[in-house]
Amino acid sequence: MPSSSEAARIAVDRVLCTGHGVCAQTLPGAIVLDEWGYPVLRHEAVEPEAAALAVKLCPARALYLR
Amino acid sequence: MTNIAELLETAGLTGRGGAAFSTAIKLKAARENGAELIVNACDGELGAAKDAWIVAHHLHELIDGAALVAGGRRPHIRYAAHRGSRTAGLLASAGLPVLEVPHRYVSSEETALISLAQGGLAKPMTKRAPFVFGGRDSQGRKVPPTVVLNAETVWRVSQIHRLGAEWFRSFGTSAEPGPRLVAVGGHVARPGMYEASAGVALSDLLDSAGGLPPDARHVGVGGLGGVVLTAAEARSTIWETPGMKRHGGALGPGIVTVWNPAECPIETAARMISYGAGESAGQCGPCMFGMPALAADWTDLARNPTGKGRDHLLLRLSQLERRGACAHPDGVARFAQSALRTLAPEFAAHANHACQKGHKRHAQFV
Ligand SMILES: Cc1cc2nc3c(=O)[nH]c(=O)nc-3n(C[C@H](O)[C@H](O)[C@H](O)COP(=O)(O)O)c2cc1C
Ligand code: SF4
Ligand code: SF4
Repeated sequence: MPSSSEAARIAVDRVLCTGHGVCAQTLPGAIVLDEWGYPVLRHEAVEPEAAALAVKLCPARALYLR
Repeated sequence: MTNIAELLETAGLTGRGGAAFSTAIKLKAARENGAELIVNACDGELGAAKDAWIVAHHLHELIDGAALVAGGRRPHIRYAAHRGSRTAGLLASAGLPVLEVPHRYVSSEETALISLAQGGLAKPMTKRAPFVFGGRDSQGRKVPPTVVLNAETVWRVSQIHRLGAEWFRSFGTSAEPGPRLVAVGGHVARPGMYEASAGVALSDLLDSAGGLPPDARHVGVGGLGGVVLTAAEARSTIWETPGMKRHGGALGPGIVTVWNPAECPIETAARMISYGAGESAGQCGPCMFGMPALAADWTDLARNPTGKGRDHLLLRLSQLERRGACAHPDGVARFAQSALRTLAPEFAAHANHACQKGHKRHAQFV
């Protein structure tokens, strides 16, 4: 996990999230999936570039940064 | 404007809708952003009744409070109440703009009210940032700056304005000042509305409603988003955040309910959890699937209490925390966690097939 000064804080819009689970692959370690395929955030702080890519690749546009 | 915000800060008023956030901070942000005001008089929590009481008995002070919060020359104020309720009727007869809210548990959550006020469904929205700044819903529709305050909070604003911060601080504790309405209900001789304040013994609160009956075994504090205590714990608990925190609870929206001792308490809890599962707005996966799964797990554990089943339920609860657009799953998980702990002896009795109530199912809610 990067130090908090350089880290981005990732969040999931739960209304938009359709449980595709792509984010568990784009942010391994930070995100795991529950039994239905919805993301569980293990920690919010993630490396900014990885976070930006994950936001871009979420098919439901449900990931965002805070 | 700074005067009223400063006054509220000195008084130490916090939201009476459950979350206990500083009203001064909300008011300041609302004024700075020219936010619309929604007065939440829904009494949505199980057992809640205080906001209806305020509308019935102190409507003029409520209106004064709303004007003080909103400020400005042409303040935009709406009053939210359940459709067809007596409260909605009273507000409408007073000529006030009423936001008629469908009778669902989550429809009185603040962002559900904001969505409804914008012509959308009464379903909670994702809070990417607090809506007091304005923002967008998940579909990208613009939402104007809006602040939601509980009706008791607004009523207290008018009282503080009239009687002063010192008057307000003469009630309660220094950390949690001010008078608070509490609906005491369930298995008591005189259910009704009582004025109390943080720091009173829960048993004194119950005494005002006729006392904790000798056959009472469990006392709920805070409804479906709250906790349940044994009667012995209720007798020794101080009603303030530190005292309630020890049991995983909070002051919440002012509700104390003595559970019906004629019903198996595991069934009472099951009924509440199942009701909560049915009230998921069905928008967020972890809530839509997790809540019915929780209700099913609870029923399984009631039939066949094992250590494995208990661990499974605890994992289920942890997966409901902070995983919805609103705090509904968190509230039900908190309640289930508390019931699991408090009802440990009853679960043990179920394991020995010794439940004295024979798992009776009742159709009505607490
Ligand atoms: C599921 C759910 C239901 C709620 N229902 C109510 C309600 O009926 N009345 C209320 O005042 N607050 C309710 N709240 C809390 C509101 O979202 C909000 O925090 C409150 O109205 C803010 O006012 P306050 O700062 O004056 O407490 C509910 C919250 C949740 C999660
Ligand atoms: S990739 Fe997007 S839609 Fe898919 S599970 Fe993750 S957040 Fe949800
Ligand atoms: S968490 Fe549940 S109740 Fe709240 S908005 Fe999501 S689906 Fe609806």
